[in-house]
Amino acid sequence: MGEVKDVTAAYSEALVEVGLADPRVMALDADLPDSCMTEPFYRACPGRAIDLGVAEQSLPTFAAGLALVGKVPFYNTFAVFAVGRSFDMIRLSVAYARANVKIVGHAAGLSLGYAGPSHHALEDVAMMRALPGMVVLQPADAEECRQMVWWMKDYAGPVYLRLTRARVPDVHAAGWRFEMGRTEQLREGCDVTLYTTGDLWVQALRVAERLAGEGIGVQVVNVSTLKPLPPGEIVRHAQATRCGTTMEDHHVVGGLGSAVAEVYAEFVPERALRRLGIRDTFTESDDYDVLRAHYGLADEDVVTAVHSLLGSS
Amino acid sequence: MERNVLPLKTELNPERDQAFVRDLMLKAVAVRRQIVEMGHHSRIRLHYGALMGMVEMVTLLYFHWLDVRPEDPAWPERDRFVLSKGHGAPSLYAVLAERGFFDRRHFDRFRRLGSILQGHPDRLKTPGIEASSGSLGQGLAVACGMALGAQLDDAPWRVYCLVGDGECNEGSIWEAGLIAGNLRLGHLRVLLDRNLKSSYGPMAGRNDVEPLADKWRAFGWAVFEADGHDFCDLSQKLARAEAVEGQPSLVICHTLKGKGIPFVEHYPAKPNILLTEEQYRECLDVLCRAEEEVRKGPSPRPSPCEGEGEGPSPRSRTPLRRGLRAALPCWEGEGEGRGG
Repeated sequence: MGEVKDVTAAYSEALVEVGLADPRVMALDADLPDSCMTEPFYRACPGRAIDLGVAEQSLPTFAAGLALVGKVPFYNTFAVFAVGRSFDMIRLSVAYARANVKIVGHAAGLSLGYAGPSHHALEDVAMMRALPGMVVLQPADAEECRQMVWWMKDYAGPVYLRLTRARVPDVHAAGWRFEMGRTEQLREGCDVTLYTTGDLWVQALRVAERLAGEGIGVQVVNVSTLKPLPPGEIVRHAQATRCGTTMEDHHVVGGLGSAVAEVYAEFVPERALRRLGIRDTFTESDDYDVLRAHYGLADEDVVTAVHSLLGSS
Repeated sequence: MERNVLPLKTELNPERDQAFVRDLMLKAVAVRRQIVEMGHHSRIRLHYGALMGMVEMVTLLYFHWLDVRPEDPAWPERDRFVLSKGHGAPSLYAVLAERGFFDRRHFDRFRRLGSILQGHPDRLKTPGIEASSGSLGQGLAVACGMALGAQLDDAPWRVYCLVGDGECNEGSIWEAGLIAGNLRLGHLRVLLDRNLKSSYGPMAGRNDVEPLADKWRAFGWAVFEADGHDFCDLSQKLARAEAVEGQPSLVICHTLKGKGIPFVEHYPAKPNILLTEEQYRECLDVLCRAEEEVRKGPSPRPSPCEGEGEGPSPRSRTPLRRGLRAALPCWEGEGEGRGG
């Protein structure tokens, strides 16, 4: 593993790169250019960055208007508002209209731990997955984030990019290329598959090492495209192992767990699956890592799930 | 029928441009007739109050204001029009067909599977539709985004948007309005359909939005007021809105729900109805007489649908302006826009 990096900082740099490369690119904010690290774009591409103020529900519609006249707007705010506050606007003016809008939900999941449940974005993937034609992405590391931003610039259609505040090492080697709609095996194993999105692959690899000590073979799969998720991308991993477990910083309803479970139920019903994530509850305030552990994403939770699946607990 | 012979976006004078205005009035009759046929033949309930009330505004836009090319709807330099009050789609469809954006045969499949004419505007299905709308309070913000894009590119085209007064109950309208004022979106002109009613009934005392003009001015907009059924007055106020620089402009268009169809104008409940055969015949008779009035006119004022002399029923004899004034105690009639 490489140096630990801030994925949002990688987004910030990539946004400037695509902005300098393509004059159509714009950045919209809702009073959070500092938190969303879009300030460098304001300096690099003056006139193409607009802060609408505390007006989250206007982000999708303004962005849609800009997109309909040829711009490629990336709009930025905390994920809980980027999606939740303005869902109807996204649904009609962006998704239904197929406007070329790039929605960037920052500090998703439990990232804003101390701010509490008003700021925890735990339903955003569920809402975005439900929209026809919406592409939903969550990068595993800084390099994947950078490549996703370039891909988003060139893709003609609405995309939701989900970013957390996690700092992660690079998992992708030089020369690796992001492919939308593809999953990626990060570790081989024949007993259980751990499906992760975002930074959770770090934890999955750690737990995999521990389980390897017990003689359990763990495959780790990065699912960075949450939609569209072609069934074949899950089936080939599912068939390589006896069972599977999903891990996500999101409610288990509607997110990665649901997406993978849908494939298991339809195509590999003989394989068992567990979903790890926040389980249908409103959260409370505390440190990001403390909350993750508290709400079902501790290493021990993963081990327990795997033992349970393999009948070896 | 006479074609557009005047330069676009020019003020219409009732005497000088008599023939042209008469042509617009005939188009308005044709549009109303098309709306009636649409509802009757499809056997679908339509909100005739809202649809009839906006006919002159949209007719003027598409036949004398917007620089558009029906044969090339995606022409990059075209003016953009966003129908924020998306439930007015059937009126817009009728005008777009009249303007030649698509063939009238599409009305046979109005609001049916596979049709290019959906219940509310769909920019991907209907030639000439610029934005998908139907959830109130969004279209204005989309139009703002377009105007922002035009401003950044110093584009020659402009963005027009029709907003409903009931729609002004949506907080997103005011959020967009505030941002548009702050961004000084001079490429944006909004027509606000002030018919004093939202879907459930009169807004006064319930979900009122007055003082409407003062609110928009306070948000940094140049505001004008017009009789929304008078082509000359509308054109004059729109021309003044066009002259505004460095701020968005808005014309409060005073209208009457159901305009042109007396029984709809006076409908006791919300006129979201399936026309009976009798009502259908009445609509066609009224429109037929309105057309005769226009053709024989010499005076293009007032609107033929409110003919002063030989109206089809006592109700419709009310002259346009008197009728409007009676319905609009807050309206100053010829009042000047203060923000321009």
